[in-house]
Amino acid sequence: MPAPAMHGEGRNGVPLRTRRILMHAGIFLTLVLAWEIGARAGYLDPLFYPRPTAIVDSFIRIYITQGNIWRHLYVSLGLVFAGFAAGSILGIVLGSLVGFNALARRFVKPYVLVLEATPRIAVAPLLIAALGFGAQSKIAIIMLVCFFAPFINTLAGVVNVNEEKLELFNSLGASKFQILTKLVLPEAVPVIMAGERLALTASLSGVLVAEFIQRDQGIGSLILIYTRNLNMASAFACIFTLTVVGFLIFKGMEMLDRYIAFWNNETGMARVGAARKARWEN
Amino acid sequence: MATADSRVRDPVVGGNSVGKTFAGGTVVALENASFDIEKGSFVSLVGPSGCGKSTLLRLIAGLIEPTSGSLQVHGSKVSAPRQDVAMMFQRATLLEWRTAIENVLLPTEIQRRVTADDRNRAMELLQLVGLGEFAFSFPAQLSGGMQQRVALARLLQTGADVLLMDEPFGALDEFTRERLNIELLRIVGEVGATTIFVTHNIAEAIFLADKVYVMTPRPGRLAQVIDVPLARPRELAVQTSPEFNRLVEDARETLGAL
Ligand SMILES: Nc1ncnc2c1ncn2[C@@H]1O[C@H](COP(=O)(O)OP(=O)(O)O)[C@@H](O)[C@H]1O
Ligand SMILES: [Mg+2]
Repeated sequence: MPAPAMHGEGRNGVPLRTRRILMHAGIFLTLVLAWEIGARAGYLDPLFYPRPTAIVDSFIRIYITQGNIWRHLYVSLGLVFAGFAAGSILGIVLGSLVGFNALARRFVKPYVLVLEATPRIAVAPLLIAALGFGAQSKIAIIMLVCFFAPFINTLAGVVNVNEEKLELFNSLGASKFQILTKLVLPEAVPVIMAGERLALTASLSGVLVAEFIQRDQGIGSLILIYTRNLNMASAFACIFTLTVVGFLIFKGMEMLDRYIAFWNNETGMARVGAARKARWEN
Repeated sequence: MATADSRVRDPVVGGNSVGKTFAGGTVVALENASFDIEKGSFVSLVGPSGCGKSTLLRLIAGLIEPTSGSLQVHGSKVSAPRQDVAMMFQRATLLEWRTAIENVLLPTEIQRRVTADDRNRAMELLQLVGLGEFAFSFPAQLSGGMQQRVALARLLQTGADVLLMDEPFGALDEFTRERLNIELLRIVGEVGATTIFVTHNIAEAIFLADKVYVMTPRPGRLAQVIDVPLARPRELAVQTSPEFNRLVEDARETLGAL
């Protein structure tokens, strides 16, 4: 809900926010126009820098008249969510297990350091060799790039439990299980969510790498095919599509984070506080 | 010197030559502490930092074990945290994802299934500390003083009759602290609990207590016991009385002679 009183008023009574939006739109349009003119006047090689209007044409073609991008988008996003879910759940589960167990922690630590220093993508061809072509190896690649951030963050969240709160729980005679469920895990939620955000962003890169290697279907292979055929306008349309998808995913995660870790924001506390009050009263 | 106090009629908390060392015996946090604390009394532990105040509280709470000597609460040896003893810390240590009332209910949740009676009791306690209106606020929505009140309500919700308080209002500004101290006296009086209150402020220690244990560091020791015969209920004005100032001087002398 907009709260106009909260925003400053600029000159002529136009709200600052509106002015800022207008300014950004102006700059953007100027850049696009310069690109269009540059391309038409021959300053930009049309082979590599297609005209904005040509990109718009491609958008219309791949989304509406030809409509071929939907299938690829569907396939890629399906892989992203499967790989992300599997990879991050694995990361959270292993992270908590290792975090709780001092012995496991010591055992796992060197491997974590090695894995942290290795670019995960480098392992992708090996995974394909091991698992063969097909969805499994693509999901495995995404899992691989998704696993690490949730794993490390969960581990850190579990290990760095607040000493004073732990002392409180001990003084109350809490069991290990109560300490886990009532203190350690809830306290780790924000840092785990931060790991999930990184993982989801990584999974988008992961699916592209997987599809660049196995060019059968998906947005990644579509980009590759368009580029090979020197259909740069369509390739750009695919890339901008990914920009939008990435933005939506990021925003979605941000909202989910605010929803789950509600105690870190005012609106969340107001919402949950009211709900708990209602529950208390009946 | 250690103080085996024979005048105590009904001891609730007792220590016999309690000692605690850390780091393989190289740090003597507490040495040869003997004491008896009377039922329903208010005892202050005062001394500079590092003199073993927190260590003594944690020993009584059963959070750590003595290296030598022994401790009893209600006549039984302390070997682990127990339900008749509860502790409050310098920081409120509230769980940020729980409302005030849910924080107050935590001790009950840990002990057993929460009943309607428990919930009513928790609400009463929040009202007792003046936060009835804020039962469904989260810690981040409360001021430091209010958070500490919630922690106090949580302390009382445990049902323990021995309350250990480790500089509970030490992180608050002086005005808030004085107000909370007055309320604390009213509340523990109402509940009838035995209270051991740690502070490094001599005047605060005397103002609150029936008995003040003055502690000295390196090694941590109970150096002196001061009886505080000031009438109750006490008001802030008592701090300007000659009697009060004599008691303050008395404690200063012990601490100054280090
Ligand atoms: N867990 C610990 N490990 C090592 N030394 C400790 C530990 N706890 C306390 N000490 C030491 O014991 C002494 C007394 O500490 P403490 O009881 O916290 O004092 P106070 O609460 O009076 O400031 C200090 O020298 C402190 O450094
Ligand atoms: Mg201390």
